[in-house]
Amino acid sequence: MTNVAAKPARRPSGRRAGGNQTSVWWAVAFIAPATIGLVALYVWPFLSTLIKSFQDVPAFGPATFVGVDNYTALLSDGEVWEAFGNSALYTVIVLLGIPLAVVLAALIEQAGRGRTIYRVLFFLPVVTLPVAIGMVWRFIYNGDFGLLNYVLSWFGIDGQYWVADARFTIYAFAVVGIWMGLGINLIILGAGLQAIPKAVYEASALDGAGRIRQFFRITVPLLTPSIFFVTILTVIAALQMFDLIFIMLRSVNNTALGDSKTIVYLFYEKAFVQFDQGYGAAIAIVLLIAIMIATALQFRLQKSWVFYG
Amino acid sequence: MAESVPRRSHPRRKPISSWPIHAVLIVAAVIMVVPFVWQILSVFKTTSEVTRIPPTIIPADFSVHSFETFFSTVPFWSMFAVSTGSLVLRVVGQVTVAALAGYAFARMPFRGSNVLFGLFIAMLMVPSQLFLIGQYQLIRDLRLLDTLPALAIPGLFSAFGTFLMRQAFLNMPKDYEEAARLDGANPFQVFWHVMLPMARPMLAALTVLTGLYSWNDLLWPLIVSPSGENRPLPVGLAGLQGQFGTDYPTLMAGALVCSIPLVIVFLVLQRQFFAGIANSGLKG
Amino acid sequence: MKHKWTGAMAMAVAATLLTACSGGGTETGSAGGTGAAAEKVTLTYANWSEDQSPAMEQIAAEFQKENPNITVKVQTLPWPEYWSTLQVGAAGGTAPDAFWMLADHFREYAKGGALIDLSDTVKSGIDMSVYPKAVSDSYTYEGKIFALPKDFDTNGIWYNKALFDAAGVKYPDDTWDWQDVQDAAKKLTDPAKGVWGIAAPIDAQGGYYNTILQAGGTIINADGTASDFAGPAGVAGLKFWADLQKAGSSPTLKQLSDTEAVSMFENQKVAMYFSGAYWALRFYKNAELKGKVDVAPLPQGVKRATVTSGIGNAGYAGSKHPEELKKFLTFLGGTKAAEIQAATGTVLPAYKGTQQPWLDSMPEFKLQVFIDAIDYSVPLPVAGNTAEWQGLAAQYLAPAWDGTKPVEAAAKEYQDAVDQVLAKK
Repeated sequence: MTNVAAKPARRPSGRRAGGNQTSVWWAVAFIAPATIGLVALYVWPFLSTLIKSFQDVPAFGPATFVGVDNYTALLSDGEVWEAFGNSALYTVIVLLGIPLAVVLAALIEQAGRGRTIYRVLFFLPVVTLPVAIGMVWRFIYNGDFGLLNYVLSWFGIDGQYWVADARFTIYAFAVVGIWMGLGINLIILGAGLQAIPKAVYEASALDGAGRIRQFFRITVPLLTPSIFFVTILTVIAALQMFDLIFIMLRSVNNTALGDSKTIVYLFYEKAFVQFDQGYGAAIAIVLLIAIMIATALQFRLQKSWVFYG
Repeated sequence: MAESVPRRSHPRRKPISSWPIHAVLIVAAVIMVVPFVWQILSVFKTTSEVTRIPPTIIPADFSVHSFETFFSTVPFWSMFAVSTGSLVLRVVGQVTVAALAGYAFARMPFRGSNVLFGLFIAMLMVPSQLFLIGQYQLIRDLRLLDTLPALAIPGLFSAFGTFLMRQAFLNMPKDYEEAARLDGANPFQVFWHVMLPMARPMLAALTVLTGLYSWNDLLWPLIVSPSGENRPLPVGLAGLQGQFGTDYPTLMAGALVCSIPLVIVFLVLQRQFFAGIANSGLKG
Repeated sequence: MKHKWTGAMAMAVAATLLTACSGGGTETGSAGGTGAAAEKVTLTYANWSEDQSPAMEQIAAEFQKENPNITVKVQTLPWPEYWSTLQVGAAGGTAPDAFWMLADHFREYAKGGALIDLSDTVKSGIDMSVYPKAVSDSYTYEGKIFALPKDFDTNGIWYNKALFDAAGVKYPDDTWDWQDVQDAAKKLTDPAKGVWGIAAPIDAQGGYYNTILQAGGTIINADGTASDFAGPAGVAGLKFWADLQKAGSSPTLKQLSDTEAVSMFENQKVAMYFSGAYWALRFYKNAELKGKVDVAPLPQGVKRATVTSGIGNAGYAGSKHPEELKKFLTFLGGTKAAEIQAATGTVLPAYKGTQQPWLDSMPEFKLQVFIDAIDYSVPLPVAGNTAEWQGLAAQYLAPAWDGTKPVEAAAKEYQDAVDQVLAKK
């Protein structure tokens, strides 16, 4: 609309109509590849999952329509609730990594020389294969000969079977989740910090504000847009956690697996291991609804804490 | 980039406080890096040494047996080629498709384009596992199973990429575009010669993020490659775990060798990585 | 050696087909009717074992020598992804042509019509009696044969002689009963050295199925409608393992989750490990175990018993080359394939009379134990969606193993859960 309106034209009406028409066709041409791909590879698979969630889908052979049976079964299925609880717990703990990232980002920003080295070191997990990360941490968490328990023993702390004891697995995954995500969060938050005008700090320094006070009074409020962005990404990713549990717990006899499933893992298990795609689909749809609610909630809440200067 | 600026603007504060800052950062950095150091040390141990209680820190005799086992089991180079090939396809494809659509959404609104864009955004929230079966069926119907393009195709179309590119184009001044149009350039020429070059930072961001996703993908390559051909590194690595259970030196060697290519790329291009990711987070 | 005629028949069929068509190896004409064999055809053959894939390659090469028109591509998938990949492929029409099948997954595939029916092929000249009945029966569904047994396994006690010597305990032999195992395990355990007498994970096939059967139990009733874990024999069979845990003679479940039982055995942390013949080659190749490992029969309870099962070679119903596929499956079920598996020490082949080379390939192990066990072996129990109810075991039985619930109570809860799965459909 604007691009057309702003045009100084010799014959306003004629050009305007023609230009508009052409530009729509151009727009369609530009958008077509992305839209075709999106519909074929995302929207359609999504719709077929939605349909399946109302069906009983055997591994092979035709599906039958069963109404909301999958959903009602799901509501009374303790395993599903437990998986939702696990995913929620994981998400909440991983979110604790964000304050940590804010502090570290602020410190790195102040570090002057060596900033790049810190960023590189913190970023290494991001460029490491998740499968590799899962293997390394499974080794570190080993209750008998793992590094973590060895280090704890220096301080007289008794070790645990971190990924073999359902009381600890989610926390163990969350620590890895924070460790993996820190590098990206630091970079995004660092960019946000650099966008804060130096003059603001100088003014408050003249008022005699100390560093800590500046951090809470200036840095954090002015950084809230970046923090919000990082929070959204973290929540969506955390609710979809799958790789770690897949790599660290899937060995057949891991007795902790039963009580450590996340919701996406449960979906994978139902749909791809236990031949129950209809039920799996229903779980996935419920997860989708949960993610949408969580995201909508965050957007609503942001008004009360995100500062747009 | 702006290394010298803060030093000049806070002349008094720098020297006093940099010690505790570095102390905290060094401790944090050590914690970050310890898993990798432990991994590398373990590679040179024997299986019985890694299961010793308490663990030994320094390998007893620096055995390289683990590498031999890894390379004799996993066809590393062919998997590396597959990983690289699918990454290139996916990155080039996605960046092109997303830039075109993002530009149109930002600068060529038409009736319904907001609804369409909303659809893109909605797909961002859907867990990716949910698409697997439908995507698989499409690849099968296109008779592309077991091929390199099959690995890349779903990744060519990214709601996230479209969103990022739209943000980038929304932020650009309109003057250049209009000047070019007055010179008689058609919309594609405007896009290609004027706007796209200006979007370079976001293109870099998208390249980095897409590249990361592509390199790391495990589940999709497994499903779309039923005959076991054209399998990328994560698949080979996952298979190693099934086979060697708790032969940790071999597992650690595999994890190390498969991760190193991207780490090297990162070290060489770290400026682009950081700029890319920073750009993706900047508000539009 | 004695039963060579299956292979011979395969060769005869191959020869007929070869002479029936002209030069072969060209993309001539239509694929209709008998001319189909003239085309170059590629079959895929999937397995989940890197350990066995060299032998599978060798078998494929041998088959191609006899059938120059057919190329066989062997593909090895990682075990944890094998079934999900296969299922997606089978449902989507793109599964490998031939693949390994297991008894507990078999029924879902057969019921869903995903497997090629081999009944006619068998009728026209395969003698099913050369295979252990327990194995071939488990690949029969509603009277139709869907897979030919590839190998079979019974269970024994793998033990570490060095650890037995160190503790001054007599090696296990065929006189052992349950009490002997419990006593020896206790004596072999040395917490200071981090050594345990036995590995007692929640393992059905190598573990509690055997002891339930040895106690006179049945596991699943004859018509597959109900399970029996909570009866006296079921409880006794489960208690055998819970007692080992209680006595501290085994690493805890948590330890066995961190490090699988077989790895514990390979790392020489446990002295005894109840499991199948399929580990033989892996233990044999492990340099650190050289000269330290041997195998003995499972102990006696009320009676002798072991579950047996075996991998079956099945074909995909949606294969584009059903005739070539049947030919290949026939070859896989024949003597030559069996002999290759035996001579390479890969596994205990199912084909009767081909087992000697396997025994000879690892003379240091008393592998005859596994063959003798056929006499008292019972098929692995399968009913309904077996993979699903078996998957529940760890969850329900763990409290019995770690002593937080009486075995009777855990057994009852597991039985109810299994029966609920069996009641579906």
